[in-house]
Amino acid sequence: MFEIDYNNSGEIVVRGRLDAAQAATAQEFLDAVDGRCVVDMTDLEYISSAGLGVLLRTHKRLMSGEFGLEFINVNKHINDIFRYSGFDKLFVIKTA
Amino acid sequence: MLKKYKRDFDQIQELVADTERFFSDQDIDESLRMKVDLSLEELFVNMVNYNTETDQDILIEMRPIKGGLEVSLTDFDVERFDPTLAGDVDVDAPLSDRTPGGLGLYLVLKMADSIHYEYYDRKSRITFTNRIAAGETRQDV
Repeated sequence: MFEIDYNNSGEIVVRGRLDAAQAATAQEFLDAVDGRCVVDMTDLEYISSAGLGVLLRTHKRLMSGEFGLEFINVNKHINDIFRYSGFDKLFVIKTA
Repeated sequence: MLKKYKRDFDQIQELVADTERFFSDQDIDESLRMKVDLSLEELFVNMVNYNTETDQDILIEMRPIKGGLEVSLTDFDVERFDPTLAGDVDVDAPLSDRTPGGLGLYLVLKMADSIHYEYYDRKSRITFTNRIAAGETRQDV
């Protein structure tokens, strides 16, 4: 199960498992966003390299403008994956 | 557990459910789940993406071992491809030099406690283990 949508504050909310089977869904949503994007990861349970690719591709597109993706409420496991992948040096990440 | 999976990303959901059931049935520490899920997905996806000359199912075996589990994935009628020899990824590179892709096998090599590759009779078999670290308290859920 994976869901991606906006909340009432205009943040992007991701829920569930962002794996290879769900990467296209996430990419389609994120391809339509613009400007500064905060992604609330409170309920993101899992991410694989396919999901990391979606985030990196979107971040590079947005950074060619002025803003990129920013992640908030990142749990320990997801943060470990980000650190192993070097994403902690590329993104603004705020842990839960 | 011994089960065959079709070469389709839609099988990942079933693989996750089977792994969850195996952990529960074998009373394996849940703290290993994320590492195992990640390595399983990355290796499965790698086989689906790169071993395109076959339509045979991928065989996955899970066995309990002391302090954890051993997982094997076998791909049939394929050329040799040893994922343990996958190139390193420069995770310190600036954003301009980073490209999507290439992280999957890198993460597997980071997550698994051991990993072993065999190739025989056109079968490609990779086995990895994950154990709870010595001195780590068991996580009951």
